[in-house]
Amino acid sequence: MHNFTRRHFLKAFGVTSAAALTGIGCAPRAARNGAKAHVVVVGGGSGGATAARYLKQFSPDMMVTLIEPNATYVTCYGSNWVIGGFESMDAITHGYQNLRDRDGIDVIEDKVVGVDTDSRTVRLESGGSVQYDKLVMSPGIDFKYDDMPGIDEADAERIPHAWKAGSQTELLRSQLLEMPNGGVFVMVAPPNPFRCPPGPYERVSLIAHYFKEHKPRSKIIVLDAKDNFSKQGLFEEGWAQHYGDMIEWRGASDGGLVEEIDVGGMTARSDSGFERVRADVMNFIPAQRAGQIVHDVGLTNDQGWVPVNQRTFKSEMDDNIYVLGDASVAGAMPKSGHSANNQGKIVAAAIVRELMDQEPIDPSSANTCYSLITPEHGISVAAVYKYQDGAQAGVEGSGGVSPSGETSSFRRREAEYTRAWYAGITRDIWG
Amino acid sequence: MKQSRLFVAGLVASLAMAGTASKAIADNDEITRGQLMAASCKACHNAAGAEKGVPDLARISPEVIQSQMRAFRDGDRDATIMDRHAKGYTDEEIEAMSVYFSRF
Repeated sequence: MHNFTRRHFLKAFGVTSAAALTGIGCAPRAARNGAKAHVVVVGGGSGGATAARYLKQFSPDMMVTLIEPNATYVTCYGSNWVIGGFESMDAITHGYQNLRDRDGIDVIEDKVVGVDTDSRTVRLESGGSVQYDKLVMSPGIDFKYDDMPGIDEADAERIPHAWKAGSQTELLRSQLLEMPNGGVFVMVAPPNPFRCPPGPYERVSLIAHYFKEHKPRSKIIVLDAKDNFSKQGLFEEGWAQHYGDMIEWRGASDGGLVEEIDVGGMTARSDSGFERVRADVMNFIPAQRAGQIVHDVGLTNDQGWVPVNQRTFKSEMDDNIYVLGDASVAGAMPKSGHSANNQGKIVAAAIVRELMDQEPIDPSSANTCYSLITPEHGISVAAVYKYQDGAQAGVEGSGGVSPSGETSSFRRREAEYTRAWYAGITRDIWG
Repeated sequence: MKQSRLFVAGLVASLAMAGTASKAIADNDEITRGQLMAASCKACHNAAGAEKGVPDLARISPEVIQSQMRAFRDGDRDATIMDRHAKGYTDEEIEAMSVYFSRF
């Protein structure tokens, strides 16, 4: 209806170009070589796909190429629902058809193996290359297996991380299905900073949900590299309410800091070897760093993450590269799919404005992070971020977690909104 | 009661929007801060979210968005999460973002 109204109006004034029809479009000035600006986006997850779509939305004439090695993307958010046994992999898997067909984005299924920043060229695994005016990189995370003695990447086939969703999610689910009633599930939870701060605790909640229904004599132990965690009070309240003493959480200074994993013996050792916890199913979520490609390009700091100008998410190392999502250092913004989604929009606006010789704007965005404790018990943490004094910071007096001691009807409504959030944000990202 | 009255107000204001399209386009030759803030809200408040119970803000007038955001912020409307979000915005920011939803 709005489109009709707008078209009608534009037609009356003789404006017919595609850019004008969108109402919010503005074609950037020609790039320096005189051709239309070409923006290449590396990575088709929450950050990259959002950036690609919003570049086209903000600037319909821009040429946008998205390079992603997989035909589909499986979201890490929602994957705990699959592990808990009440959602399918299909429901958390998204393709690129709408980006291709509706948004006019050139989606290339290939892997970026290198970037030549001088000639502004991306090299592909297939042997080809793509030239860019601006490059957006949203590579997500990689794991630091070297930080944990006794286990390496190949062991993920036996002890899954399930922290990049897909076959790892299915592997953990199948191990839980095969585990006998009365078995012990052990999660080794990562140190900060890591992708999706409440994620490990949602995961054990929903594994407890599955155990309670199907394997009620089983036990869950979390060995944590931290002494506290996201939404801790709400999780512990929910665990006591729904699962009794099934979930045991051990903080770092309470014997939870794992020093070695014995893969053959399925045992985690802590407290200088005095504590040994044996698992029937183990989930080791390693310490994390930015995805490998941004290390190869030389964009990372000593901690393994990418420093950026938090106003625009432009790399501090290269004037033509923007890095967003989990890989970036983003001030108070957590490493979450919703943050990546917001940063994709911030980057799109920043690039369009820069190409038009306009000053950057000070962005403000909202992050909502829902977790399920049961399929009918949702909790959330909300935040509004603004760029101020050189960093992304939470707005004082806003945001925070769900109230404690709330009614079951309140928790049910937040569980419903959890599903609505998922439906909404995945539509926003993948169309 | 309060809710249904607001809903009617929303419909009336949405219909009135048809007449304001010219203004919407005229001031829009660059990406603005309000537009970027509105884009953030759209992660939840779109057609797919609406199928599961979160209002699609593209179908709600700027006037109603403004009054509801102030009501959430000032504690005049019950919420699970919008009270926490609304406290992050000034009146000026709410106004700046509210005009963009119907244009996405």
